[in-house]
Amino acid sequence: MAPLVQIENLRKEFANVRALDGVSFVVQAGEWIAIMGPSGSGKTTLINILGGLDTPTSGRAIVDGTDVARLDENGLARFRAEKIGFVFQQFHLVPYLTALENVMLAQYFHSTTDEGEAREALGRVGLTDRVEHLPGQLSGGEQQRVAVARALINHPKLILADEPTGNLDEANEGIVLKLLRELHAEGHTILMVTHAASIGQLADRRIDLAHGRLATEHAARRV
Amino acid sequence: MFPRLLWKLLRSNRGRLAVALVAVISGATVISALLNVQFDISRKLTQEFQMLGPNLVIAPPGRMQTQNAGAASAPLMDEATVAGQIARTRTPALISAAPYLYIVARVADTPVVVAGTQLGEAEILNPTWKQETGFPRYLPATRARPLDACIVGRNVARQLKLAPGGPLELKYLNRTAAMTVWSILDSGGAEDNQIFADLTVVQTLAGMKGQIQVEQLRVNGTSSAISAYAASLSKSLPGYDVRPVRAVSEAEGNLLNRTRLLILSMILLILVLTALCVLATMAALAMERRADVGLMKALGGTISRIVGLFLAEVGVLGAVGGLIGCVAGLALAQWMGRQVFGTPITPRWEIFPLTIAMMVVVSMAGALPLRTLGKIKPAVILRGE
Ligand SMILES: Nc1ncnc2c1ncn2[C@@H]1O[C@H](COP(=O)(O)OP(=O)(O)O)[C@@H](O)[C@H]1O
Ligand SMILES: [Mg+2]
Repeated sequence: MAPLVQIENLRKEFANVRALDGVSFVVQAGEWIAIMGPSGSGKTTLINILGGLDTPTSGRAIVDGTDVARLDENGLARFRAEKIGFVFQQFHLVPYLTALENVMLAQYFHSTTDEGEAREALGRVGLTDRVEHLPGQLSGGEQQRVAVARALINHPKLILADEPTGNLDEANEGIVLKLLRELHAEGHTILMVTHAASIGQLADRRIDLAHGRLATEHAARRV
Repeated sequence: MFPRLLWKLLRSNRGRLAVALVAVISGATVISALLNVQFDISRKLTQEFQMLGPNLVIAPPGRMQTQNAGAASAPLMDEATVAGQIARTRTPALISAAPYLYIVARVADTPVVVAGTQLGEAEILNPTWKQETGFPRYLPATRARPLDACIVGRNVARQLKLAPGGPLELKYLNRTAAMTVWSILDSGGAEDNQIFADLTVVQTLAGMKGQIQVEQLRVNGTSSAISAYAASLSKSLPGYDVRPVRAVSEAEGNLLNRTRLLILSMILLILVLTALCVLATMAALAMERRADVGLMKALGGTISRIVGLFLAEVGVLGAVGGLIGCVAGLALAQWMGRQVFGTPITPRWEIFPLTIAMMVVVSMAGALPLRTLGKIKPAVILRGE
């Protein structure tokens, strides 16, 4: 079976910064990958390219058979709606929409809304009695759980989580990680960026980045 | 979900949108008022000008007659010929036609100009005439006017101490006619010095059976339409002098054109100003929404879908502002009608869709800054810089 994610010699340059410098790896469907590395090593850039939020300077990033680099604006939008579920460090909920509406917004851009299903997703992350709350009325942990519900709602092929617990206290970190573990157990493919080694250990596999390259590869060259 | 999102967008930005809404309402108010005036004013002014009286005159060959020419020695026309040709060329635009024969008769040894005419036609011809009958206002219409009825000019009545209902004896040479004062006329013009009586009575008194001096007509329409009608009448009355009374018709046309131009340019100016107001609001709003748009894109929203949402928001702004403005504009038009033109302005309902459509279009134009949202890179926005 073809891997779900296939990255080949991926490069990304901003002005004069080389954020990704020839990264290659594959991810099989159902894997939980921790992407680790120091700040500025290109983790977010990698996640953004995989999620179709950014385009690579060169190389290939194939997700579920689609080369993300070859999609135009509308193709990328379709790709994001259908294949990707994002969880961001800063939650990124729309402040004037309720928890329920934030989840339904993802449904709306994907296809059609289904309020019952959206409520179910919020129930699943333990927010049954918070559906009508605005993000401002929710704690950080609750907001991130809304984001997880939103990421799940369209049954994406790939869940991309960029430091999902970076802004959470320990208790909420535990809740969110438990959710990710459940999702993994159900067979979801997860790419998760994290700083903390303890969190990285939860994943099936670690990909270490340093200066835009795989650290292992980096090390190997020096030898 | 679309209406729900739209509603949330509108609510979340009600502060900013309120400013734009006030601009749209103000614009729509003035525009709908001006349109109402514009649509109604041509009718009103035309009516007003038509109130002024006859605008076409037929006189005997060779000499133009006016109603003030008094001498019986003036050239005459055959009443039947003129009436026949008017009947033959009749158009719906012809409001009334009245024949006139003027003589100078004596009343109690005072010489007075007496105009023989068809009183009913003369009244239609001169709608500004005010008559005092001495009866309650509603009575005269139900009262048949006898053949001996006279309409007596205000000044004549004062000088000869005549009152409605009183007797009046007209003398011409050795003939007399016993008449009754029907009403006292206040025309504000030369007619106040004259007595109006039935044409046949005056013709008999003067011994000029079937003769008239002038025929006055009132025709509806533009000056060119009136001229055209005059030309066709002239053809059927060869040698006769058929003339539009030009001053009125042309003034009418010019004034109407100038008001229309003025109103249209004002509307254009207001549309531009409204668009600029909306533009300023939307430029600020576009900046504020960068984060939302970046996120919506990340969630898979296409540019057209996202901008469509914002355009719908602006459309609602334009439609609501337009509707409120229209209602206010109708009230403003009423006020302007009373204060400026001294006549109520009839509300024209076609102004509603017209103004609302204009406001929606103008708001959309003002939403141009939202185009910049299309260029937003979600990765850059979500990075939070
Ligand atoms: N939009 C951008 N413009 C310029 N430089 C960028 C941009 N995004 C990332 N970078 C640079 O690329 C490098 C990698 O960034 P990033 O992928 O965010 O790292 P990480 O997420 O591992 O901290 C950094 O040096 C960062 O400054
Ligand atoms: Mg990062």
